[in-house]
Amino acid sequence: MQSTRRAVLFGAAAVAAPFVGTRGWAQGPAPFKFALTPVFLDNDAAVIDALRLALSQGMGQEIELVQRRTYQEISGALLDGSVDAAWTCGFPYLQHRTELSLLGVPVWRGQPLYQSYLIVGKDDAAKTLSDLRGAAHAFSDPDSNSGFLVTASDLAGDHQTPEEFFSRVIFTYGHRNVVRSVAGGLTRSGSVDGYVWEALSVAEPELTAQTKVIARSEWLGFPPMVARKDRMDDPSVQACRTALLALSDNPLGKQALKLLSLDGIIPGEDALFEGIAARMAILADG
Amino acid sequence: MRAVPRFRDLPVTLRVPLVMAGLMVLLGFLASQSVLSALGRVQDARLSETARLHVEGLSVALGPSVLRQDVWEVYDILDRARSAYDGQRLLLSIVADERGRILAATDPRRAPVGEAVAGFEVNAVPPDAIRMTGDSTLRVMAPLLFQGRQIGQIVTELDVTDLLTERRNVSMWLLFGNAAATALLAFGGWLAVARILRPVGTLVLAMDDSKGAPRPISEADIPRGDPGLSRLILTYNRMTTAVESRAEAERRLAERERFVSLGRLSSSLAHEVNNPLGGLLNAADTIRTYSDRPEVVRQSAELMLRGLSHLRDVTRAILDENRLDRIGQVLRREDLEDLKLLFEPEVSSRAQSLTWKAEAGQDELARFPAAPVRQVVLNLLLNAGAAAGQNGIVGLSVAAEQDRLAIEVTDSGPGLGQADLDRLLASGPLPPGGGVGLRLVHDLVRGLGGEIQHERKDARTYVRVILPMKDSSDA
Repeated sequence: MQSTRRAVLFGAAAVAAPFVGTRGWAQGPAPFKFALTPVFLDNDAAVIDALRLALSQGMGQEIELVQRRTYQEISGALLDGSVDAAWTCGFPYLQHRTELSLLGVPVWRGQPLYQSYLIVGKDDAAKTLSDLRGAAHAFSDPDSNSGFLVTASDLAGDHQTPEEFFSRVIFTYGHRNVVRSVAGGLTRSGSVDGYVWEALSVAEPELTAQTKVIARSEWLGFPPMVARKDRMDDPSVQACRTALLALSDNPLGKQALKLLSLDGIIPGEDALFEGIAARMAILADG
Repeated sequence: MRAVPRFRDLPVTLRVPLVMAGLMVLLGFLASQSVLSALGRVQDARLSETARLHVEGLSVALGPSVLRQDVWEVYDILDRARSAYDGQRLLLSIVADERGRILAATDPRRAPVGEAVAGFEVNAVPPDAIRMTGDSTLRVMAPLLFQGRQIGQIVTELDVTDLLTERRNVSMWLLFGNAAATALLAFGGWLAVARILRPVGTLVLAMDDSKGAPRPISEADIPRGDPGLSRLILTYNRMTTAVESRAEAERRLAERERFVSLGRLSSSLAHEVNNPLGGLLNAADTIRTYSDRPEVVRQSAELMLRGLSHLRDVTRAILDENRLDRIGQVLRREDLEDLKLLFEPEVSSRAQSLTWKAEAGQDELARFPAAPVRQVVLNLLLNAGAAAGQNGIVGLSVAAEQDRLAIEVTDSGPGLGQADLDRLLASGPLPPGGGVGLRLVHDLVRGLGGEIQHERKDARTYVRVILPMKDSSDA
């Protein structure tokens, strides 16, 4: 039974190969390509390995985890088919809602939601965003919800742009980098993924101890796993969805989730991202 | 006497090891300087290499990011480079764009983005020119080259506290190590040189000990392995024998001098014996002729008694002068009387006038030994008598003055010649010719710890002998 399903999956992957694979030289079916975003601890090889092992086992297929520097590159790779699925952010998902579908939404601390944190140096006197006018500020990625959209939309509500409000804006393309930027004094403040900051406070407490959170956003939809809408019926994509949703049911999956500080992955729905959509609207209007 | 003897006054057995120790200290100092200088060069090279690698590595990594003015990328590379490099060494790295504005630094709080880099270029040198200056922080400045053109600048602060500490530690180790090694070597050297110079020490000791009578060094102490030194000691031994022979000759000469002085007195003494003898013969003849006349016999017998007494005194004086067992006897007034008795015939034979003032008391005279003083006075008197000539004036004065005895002999002679003065007053070698009488006076007076003064005044020659008075117990 097991071997039959694996054979089917392999077959399906082989059929899908011409569309997703670029390894013309590869023997056998091309591996399933799953893109990772800088949303989490992108420098932790153990996390990536655990996730790859768990997904490979769950899908019964070799998995290639692909890392890209920006959300824009992830979205581009998804849309042009160079990757089969991706763990991206709610903001780029909504930007390409017509082309993309949800594979699953991670559950963190009991709900598929997270917050954006506004952080400053540990000794900084600033208490709100408005105290940071004229300072240098670090964003994660222009397509990141927590690492850009939340702060930018807050400013847009006051009819300001980040470039006007801050003296200097830099993009670090990594939430951990935002924390490093503020901790090292390169910028006075930063917009960071609350989930990453909390995970870092456990993994690298000496780094987050250099910073403090002065503002937290409302709860917003957790960065989801997505695939192209027109490929949702591909067996490999379905297998990936199944594997993702079943991570909390097997030891390897549990191990990966534990390393990611996540409880599990649920199917999720678009309604989770309404908050992000609202902020996108504010930014568009601002 | 000075408390610290001058170096040249130290014994050679101490001077040579000291000179050697000094040279070793100098050598140690030079070696230490050489080691420190080599260490300095090594440290400079190490520092220069570190700075050059750091700057070159950063140039390669930073080029595209600097070109794009990507603050985060530049910061990220600097930050990771800091942890990848010797984090202790690199205190601060600053990257500026081609306009000299800071793009990023490892410590943005010290070097904020956008500020001028010029403030950090003070005292900064190119990596190849970096040298340890004693400061714990050094700055290096280098152009940031990308694809052959300068697109910015890198300024790096290096912490060299550890190198300074290493230098200080090495200095301390060298100081203590060299001091200990030098002390050890100097001690060893001192032992070795002292051993090598032992025969010289023995030689010096043998010469010092002798008090004018050098004693030869025994055969066992002659270093046969050192031909130069053994020849020196053999020569010294030969010299000691020569000195001994000379001293023996002088002793014999002095002995003979006593006979010489008696010889000089003999003719006048013969008269002195002959004159009474005539009287005695006359008296004996008178007794024989007038044996029946008791008063004549008594008178003649009285006459004979006086003549015989005089003869007895003269013979006793001569015997005393010639006695060999007088050593240890103290001077008495009778000794001076004897001398007068011996000398008077000389005076009368030349029709001279003699002034004789022996004022010193028996107690003072007893502080001096009889033999040398008698010899001194007799020699001086004989010389004075000979110098004064016919009808001349000769004088002797012996007086006790506080703690000394002053013997003064005067004469009206023509004065002492230079050769005689050399004999009397100096210790140099005897000029050829002439007698040894005056030199004997000189040696005897020196032996008694006294001194001789000579003066020529109012056509008179004054020879004054001052003898220090010793405690009677020493006499």
